[in-house]
Order: sequence, then C-alpha cells, then structure tokens
Amino acid sequence: MAIKSKRYEEARLEASTNLELYWWVFMRISGVVLVFLLIGHMWMNAVMTDLNSINYDYVAKRLSQTTWKIYDLLILALGLLHGANGLRYVLDDWIRNPARRFWTKVVLYSLIAFLFFLGSLSLFNHDFGVN
Amino acid sequence: MYRGREGQWAFYLHRISGLGILVFLMLHVANIASAMWGPEVSNALMGFYHQPVFQVGLLLLVAGVLYHGFNGLRIILMDFTAWGVRYQRQLWYGVWVLFVIFYLPFLVKIGGGILGGGHGD
Repeated sequence: MAIKSKRYEEARLEASTNLELYWWVFMRISGVVLVFLLIGHMWMNAVMTDLNSINYDYVAKRLSQTTWKIYDLLILALGLLHGANGLRYVLDDWIRNPARRFWTKVVLYSLIAFLFFLGSLSLFNHDFGVN
Repeated sequence: MYRGREGQWAFYLHRISGLGILVFLMLHVANIASAMWGPEVSNALMGFYHQPVFQVGLLLLVAGVLYHGFNGLRIILMDFTAWGVRYQRQLWYGVWVLFVIFYLPFLVKIGGGILGGGHGD
C-alpha cells in the first residue's frame, strides 16, 4: 500500500516493502527536479515565445540541439514515472474492486510505457531535417 | 491528519492537478511525436491546438503545474523538517504567493494572445 506518512522516519516504519519506500523517496526527488525543469520549459515556450508560432520548424530547430534533447528526455522520463506512481496511489485509493484495479493498472501502465517509447523515438531516433 | 480546512484543500487540489497534468503530458507527447509523420501532419495537428479553447486549457494547465510544483515543495518541507507539519497552513498560503508571482507572466502572455486574436488559421 501507498505510504501516508508525512515524515521520513515514519514513512520508513510504515513502508511495507523497501520498494514502496524507494517510490516515496523518488516522488520527492523527481518532484524537486521537475519543478525547475517544467518552469523552464513553460517559460521558454509560452512566455518567451509566441505560442501560436510554434510549429514543426520550431520543434525541429530546438530538438536539433543535444542539450534540449536531454532536457526533454529528463522531463519525459521523470514526468511519466512520477505521474505513473502518482496514478498508482490514486487507483489504490479509488478502485476498490481488486480485479478492476488490476486491469486498469495494466491498461494505464502499458499506455505510459508506450508513450515513453514514442517520446524517446521522436527525441533521438527521428531526423527533423534541419539545415 | 488535517481535519479538513486548508490541508484537505491542498490535498484535493494536488491530486486533481496531478491527474490533469498526466492527461496533458500524454496528449503532448503524442502531439510532438506526430513530427515523425512529417511536417504536414505535425503542422496540421499543432494548428488544431492553436485554437483559443485549447489556449484557455493551457492557462489552466500552467496553473496546475505551478500549484502542483509549489505544493509539492510544501509537502517536502513537511516531510523533511521538524517544523513543516506545524506550519502546513502558513506554508499553503506561501504556495499561493509563489503561485501568483509565477503565474502573472503566463496569464499576461497567453491571455493576451487569446484576447488579441491572431491565433491559428
């Protein structure tokens, strides 16, 4: 079960498994990193740029730089993992029927894994053809 | 733990914003990945998302990310400091102060874009 404690010491006592404790710690660490990555990402694309001018060429130009590929990959990986685990907490709380909970998780985790695959492909394996 | 009031609101908003961000992230990845099918497909899809209704959605999304992020920092302070839980209510109001400071530029820029027209085709 998900950890409900608000303090690390209590979380350690409450954790049913080490894995559950690692997820608890991961949520905090990835959260801090994501705050900075996402404010930067949103600021760059919505405040410094006119949103309506964003098109294929804009994305191509930005993703031709390795720095931005890595920046976006970090958001993709940490965001999907953080989101998937958060979703797991919510499903454990809201879906009481064990069979239904299991199959909902199977479907949603598959979707998230597929999106990670799709996102990494477009970041690293697609030639945007920038001259 | 919280007995209602601010802490309970902070929790609900954290969940709802978290779920909203995850749904957006999925659409966003699919949208950007459309570039693999060439500029025509990609530009058509991005043009579709330039409609004002989606920009209003984007304003909501930015609000969700800022709230979720700053309240996440509040949760971390509560977890790892000796005083965090005691001041969770005050910290929540701190979250809103940070929220307003960071949200204003987005509100002006994106909101101005919606009102000023010139979006999409």
